[in-house]
Amino acid sequence: MSTKNLPVIILIVLLAIGMALPLLQKDTTPGFYVEVVLGGLMSGVLYSLVAMGFALIFKASGVFNFAQGAMVLFAALSIARIAEHMPLWAALAATVVIMAALAWVIERLVLRPLVNQEAIVLFMATLGVAFFLDGFGQTVWGSDIYKIDLGIAKEPVLILENVFQGGILVNRDDAVAAALAALLVVGLALFFQKTPTGRALRAVADDHQAAQSIGIPLIWVIVWAVAGVVAIVAGTVWGSKLGVQFSLQDVALKALPVVILGGLTSVPGAIVGGLIVGVGEKMAEVFLSPVLVKTFDLAGGGIENWFAYVLALVFLLVRPEGLFGERHIDRV
Amino acid sequence: MTTARKIGEPVLVVDNVSLSFGGVRALSNVSFDVRRYEIRAIIGPNGAGKSSMLNVINGVYHPQSGTVTHEGVTRRKVDPHEAAAHGIARTFQSLALFKGMSVLDNIMTGRNLRMRSNLLAQAIRVGPADREEIAHRAVVERIIDFLEIQHVRKTPVGRLPYGLQKRVDLARALAMEPALLLLDEPMAGMNLEEKQDMCRFILDVNEEFGTTIVLIEHDMSVVMDLSDRVVVLDYGRLIADGTPDEVRANPDVISAYLGAAQA
Repeated sequence: MSTKNLPVIILIVLLAIGMALPLLQKDTTPGFYVEVVLGGLMSGVLYSLVAMGFALIFKASGVFNFAQGAMVLFAALSIARIAEHMPLWAALAATVVIMAALAWVIERLVLRPLVNQEAIVLFMATLGVAFFLDGFGQTVWGSDIYKIDLGIAKEPVLILENVFQGGILVNRDDAVAAALAALLVVGLALFFQKTPTGRALRAVADDHQAAQSIGIPLIWVIVWAVAGVVAIVAGTVWGSKLGVQFSLQDVALKALPVVILGGLTSVPGAIVGGLIVGVGEKMAEVFLSPVLVKTFDLAGGGIENWFAYVLALVFLLVRPEGLFGERHIDRV
Repeated sequence: MTTARKIGEPVLVVDNVSLSFGGVRALSNVSFDVRRYEIRAIIGPNGAGKSSMLNVINGVYHPQSGTVTHEGVTRRKVDPHEAAAHGIARTFQSLALFKGMSVLDNIMTGRNLRMRSNLLAQAIRVGPADREEIAHRAVVERIIDFLEIQHVRKTPVGRLPYGLQKRVDLARALAMEPALLLLDEPMAGMNLEEKQDMCRFILDVNEEFGTTIVLIEHDMSVVMDLSDRVVVLDYGRLIADGTPDEVRANPDVISAYLGAAQA
């Protein structure tokens, strides 16, 4: 292990110690502790879903797609409204078509004319796309709160009653979300590693110019369509949990610290980053907050809102490319 | 050594090409042709415009004036992937391999243009798509054997020594089964043994696959043994064009190229 990894190792050890500390508090039962960690993991999975969309597009085209959150919202809105008229599976299929069409339009009208422009220009363009999708979504689908009903019972189930006193409460829809996310990850991994199109996409991501010279055109539209599908899964899961409303796109803001932590270019990084942020903020809220209240006589609360950003900031200082990101060595 | 091959009609005609970047002239009115099955070298001191010339041929740069005619088709503005579709492959001076991918995957990308099955068929790997992948794989394995890189097939390219990476670059270009192969300083940065290997591979490719080859080199001795005809560029201008012996005897070349090098 080389010394350049040392700060990261120290940081991870510190995080682990921080996670273990609550167990020393005498009023923390193991069952409660596991419940908090599980709860954190579940919401982490949801962050991962959004972060994956960012990572996919950034890896393939070097564009930071600010519109990912708007895409999640748009997908959720489309599923919710179409499902009012037909079964859920048909609404999902229709939404896949809509998101693919959207990807094509964005690629043709926004990205292609801007090929070879600076990254900041492309970023500003996606900002524009984000606001357009917001407004356009309202125009097409309306601005009320809609719901997506996955047909999963809402009441939580008790598991592991034999292991922990009182058992552990788990939300069914959270468990479904976690399973969906896992499926999506496996599917994407197979697509990228095992199909010729996946191979071509990796080639484009690696070196645009070399890919072009062996006859692979810029196939960004496929990546955007894949990111659209990821947005559909995220939108469905979030939408069924929180209801489909415009605050849904704020989850994209939560995905920013996740991609910083995991590395912008890495899909596995998005997953791990999401889990770290999910568990971290939940634990901070449950265990750190009371300590702060007692010690400094603060009002407490709200830690969940800023913890992820502080964590991301620390990671930026120690390892700017993120846990799994590619380290760029520029020749001067 | 060139007697075995029948050099044919011109397949690539560069006519009066000029290229400039802002106020800097990279190429001025350059004209030459490349005949079928020949090995054609473009040489010149650093900054003579060799790489620019190659980039014009494969569409990375678009010349301000002049034309490039390939197989009878004159194109004014062509993109690299269109040139590739027309059967022009290239390697890069500073390697442009897909570093995170294995040697095998890198070379397989060269088959991309010849893949026919659609995305959905690939994803679920139904019959034809699977058979297609296997057929492409067979071609790639033959190239791997040919270039003697069997032992590193599964290794990520970024971990290979430089000489082997150059070979992978050549393999990826060959996987396209190109009619015209452009090599950008294939011997740059190599030791003597690696250079000799690369020379052998270039001659074998030319002979066994019948590939027309255009290569850039600033190491003059390498080029003289390898090529049928040589173009010499200096400051973006063509100063000589002929057989290696003619070029070697040309006083302009001696003063501009050798003279400068010996001074």
